[in-house]
Amino acid sequence: MVVTNPAVEKPATAEELALRLHEAAESKLAVAPVGGGRAAGMGNVLERCDVLLHTTRLDRVIEHSHADMVVSVEAGITLEALQAELAKANQFLPVDPFNSPGHTIGGLLATGWTGPLRLRYGSPRDFLIGIRVALPDGKLATGGGRVVKNVSGYDMMKLHNGALGSLGVIVAASFKVFPRPLDDQTLSDHGGWAATDRALSTPLAPTALELFSDGRILARYSGSPAAVKRVTDELGWKREDAAVWDEHSRRAPERWARIAVPPSELRRIVDALPDDAEWWASPGVGVAHWTVTTDAKSVRDARAGVEAAGGALVMLAAPDGFMREVGAWGTAPPTVEIMRRLKSAFDPGRVLNPGRFVV
Amino acid sequence: MALPAGVAEELRRIVGREAVIDASNDLRIFERDGSIEGAMPDAVVLASSTEHVASVIKVAARHHIPVVPRGAGTGLSGGAVTIRGGIALQVTRMRHILEIDPVAQTALVEPGVVNQELSLVAAQNGLFYAPDPSSQKACTIGGNAAENSGGPHCLYYGVTTNHVLGMEVVLADGSVHWVSGDAPDRVGLDLCGVLVGSEGTLCAITKIKVKLLRIPPSVATLLAAFPTIETASQAVSAVIGHGIVPAALEMMDRVTVGAVEAHYRAGYPTDAGAVLLVEVDGIPESTRELMATITEILTANHGYALREAQTAAERDLLWAGRKGAIGALGRIKPNYYLHDGVVPRSRLPQVLSAVGEIGDHYKLPVANVFHAGDGNLHPNILFDMRDRQVMHQVEAAGEEMLRAVVEMGGTLSGEHGIGLEKNQFMPWIYSEDDLDAMHRVKDVFDADGILNPGKVFPDPSRNMVQLAGRTGLAVEAKWW
Repeated sequence: MVVTNPAVEKPATAEELALRLHEAAESKLAVAPVGGGRAAGMGNVLERCDVLLHTTRLDRVIEHSHADMVVSVEAGITLEALQAELAKANQFLPVDPFNSPGHTIGGLLATGWTGPLRLRYGSPRDFLIGIRVALPDGKLATGGGRVVKNVSGYDMMKLHNGALGSLGVIVAASFKVFPRPLDDQTLSDHGGWAATDRALSTPLAPTALELFSDGRILARYSGSPAAVKRVTDELGWKREDAAVWDEHSRRAPERWARIAVPPSELRRIVDALPDDAEWWASPGVGVAHWTVTTDAKSVRDARAGVEAAGGALVMLAAPDGFMREVGAWGTAPPTVEIMRRLKSAFDPGRVLNPGRFVV
Repeated sequence: MALPAGVAEELRRIVGREAVIDASNDLRIFERDGSIEGAMPDAVVLASSTEHVASVIKVAARHHIPVVPRGAGTGLSGGAVTIRGGIALQVTRMRHILEIDPVAQTALVEPGVVNQELSLVAAQNGLFYAPDPSSQKACTIGGNAAENSGGPHCLYYGVTTNHVLGMEVVLADGSVHWVSGDAPDRVGLDLCGVLVGSEGTLCAITKIKVKLLRIPPSVATLLAAFPTIETASQAVSAVIGHGIVPAALEMMDRVTVGAVEAHYRAGYPTDAGAVLLVEVDGIPESTRELMATITEILTANHGYALREAQTAAERDLLWAGRKGAIGALGRIKPNYYLHDGVVPRSRLPQVLSAVGEIGDHYKLPVANVFHAGDGNLHPNILFDMRDRQVMHQVEAAGEEMLRAVVEMGGTLSGEHGIGLEKNQFMPWIYSEDDLDAMHRVKDVFDADGILNPGKVFPDPSRNMVQLAGRTGLAVEAKWW
C-alpha cells in the first residue's frame, strides 16, 4: 500500500482503539488497520492513508477454557502465541496460513487467509464463534458468543471475516478449538495429479494435501492411530517430518496470485497457466497459489479463465505498479451493490482502508 | 386484518387461483409452527418457483404487507408465525432436488426439499447431507438454512451454515440474487454467511447449494447409563478432554428415558439417572479403536450397562428413541415448551441442576434431552395447554431457565432460532451497540421491514411476563 507519512497509533485497549478510530473518522482521516503486516500487500493500493492503526498491543489471551475447548483472544495476538497457549491443553487452532510466522488473529480473520489444514477443518469461518469489532462511529459491537453453537441474532462473524477491515476493526475473537489428533503423519510423493486423486479417495480422507507444479505432493493423515496406519501403509509413500509444513507455510512470493475455483476445475485452470508456471495448490479445496513471473497481461488472461470457471483470481501481493496494472480483485461480483450498501451502513465516511477492498 | 382490496386477486394472477388461500377456516392450519405462540396470516401463497416468490414479494413490498417465508412449519421459535398478519409464503411446492453432483459432492435443491429426503437420494451415490435436525423427516432444507439448524451429528460435522455453499435468494424488493457458490474464497463480503440463519428477516431462500459428504464405511453406536446427570456430564467432558470428538454425543434424563422406553422399547435403561448415546464413524479400524477408548472412559466415569448396537436395525432403534424423544413425552403431558440454550460444556451439571430447581419451584415436570457434546441443552417443560392457568407458569419457568443459561456465560439459542420466542431476551446477551450493528444489516436488506417483521429483534410493542427489571445484559462484558 502507498503510505505518505501517516500517523501511527498503537492503542493498548479495545476502547482506546475505538476512540482513535472514531477521532480519525470525525476528522475524515483515512485509517488502515495493521496487524502483523503479513498480508499488507493484499488488495488494491490505498487511495489515501492518514493513520496506521495497529492492533499489536491488543495481544492478550482473554480466556482459554480447556474443558470447553473455547478460546477468546484480543485481535493483535499472533497465531504462534495463541497456539503456544492452546498447546498447554493439547489443543490447537487448525489454521496454517502462508507467509507465516507472524500473522495476528485479527489479520487472519480480516484477510480470510487459510492454509493446507482447510481440507479437513474448514476455514476460520467455520470455527469463529464470536467477534468484537470497533466501528468508525466509535462503537464496539459484539456478535456471537463463547459457546460452540449459537444462532442468537445475525451471524456478524461472517460479515467481518474476509472483509479486509472495510467495515470495522476486529479487536477480539472467540474460537472453537480442536484437540490435537491422536496420530498425525506426513507423507510425500512425486506422482502429480494421479497420485493426488488417489490420496483424496483414501477411506480416511487426508487432513491436508498439497500439490506442487513439479508434481511433488505433501499429504497429511491424522486421527485414530489404527486408521492412519492402514491408510499410510496402503499409500506406501515416503515419510516426512511434520516440520515440512512449517517450511511450506513460509512461502510468500513477491508477485502472488491466489486462484480459487470449484475443486473439479482446478486442474484445467492450472494447466492453462503460462508454460513453466510455478504454483502450489490444495486440490481438495480448489485453491492454487501462483508465483507470478510473467507480465500483467498473463495474469489478466489467467483471471479471465478463472472467472469463466466461476472462480476468482486475487493478488495477495505485488509491487504497487504491477498491482495497479492487474487490479487486486478482478470482476466485482453481481451483488456488489448490496456490499456497497453494507459498507455505507458501517463506514459512511469511507475512512476504513479506502479503495483497498471491493467496497 | 385482511389484505388491502385487490391484493388477493393480484396474488392469484401470479400463482394461480388455487394457490392462494384466504378463507379463515383454511388459514387456521397455518397459524402455528412448532412453538407455542400462534397468529393467523391474512393469506397463504403456495409458491412453485423463484419467479412466484419474487413476484409475490414485489406485490407485498408495494402494499407494505408483511411476508413470512414458510417451509414445513416445524420450527421451534415462532420463525414461521405471521405475528403481524400478512402473507405466509409457503415454499413446500418447491421440492425438487435439481442436481446431485457425485464428483463435486454437492446438491442443488429447492427450499421445500425435506432434509431426510436429500440424504436418502444422495445415498444412491454413497453420499449424505450432514445436518440432521430431529425433525428431519419433515423439516425442509430452506427452513434449515433460514434457521441455521443443527442436529445430533453437528458435534463433529458442524451446523447448516458449514454445509451451505451458496443460495439463490429473493430480497425485500423482489430482486433475485445468487450469493456464494461452488468456488471457495470468493471476492467481496460473505453475504451468504450473513443470510444463513437470518430467520426469514433478510431474504426468502429459493435455491440452496449444499455440500454432501461420503457416507462413512463404519458406524458404531453406544448406549451407556449413569447414576446421575452430573456423572454423565463428567463423562462427556472426559471423552472430549481425551481428544475424541465423536460424531454425536447425546444425553437424556430419567424422565425422557422413561417416556422413550415406554414408546419405542429400544432397551434404554429406565433406572438410570441419565443416559448417553455416543456415536463414532469412519473406517472400521478407527471406529473400533475409538469405541474401545470411549468404553474405557465412560466406565471409569461411573458409566454402566454399556451396550453397543450390533446391527443397523438396533442402531436405528436407538436413534428413533432419541429423535422421537420429544414426541414420546406426550405420554406424560400433551404439550411441551422446548428451550434451546447453550452453555459452555463444563457448566452443564450446574445449569441442569438450576433447570431442575426451576421446574420444582413451578411444580412443572421437566424432561431433558440434548446435545451434551455441544453444551446445547433442551429442557422440555411439560404441561397441558387446556389448563389456562398453567401457561403463565410455563412461560415464567422457561424465562428463568434461559436466564440461568445466560448467567452461566451461555446463549439463548443453539439451533432453533430467536424468532418470536426469545427476541425480547436479546438484550440479555447483546448490548444496544451490538443490536444496533445487527439493525444496520436489517436496514440494508429490508429497510421497510416487510420480511418476517417482529422477529429476532426485541419488539417494543409486545409485553411478556416477568420482564420488568431484567432487561440488562446478564453477564458483564468481562469476556472482552
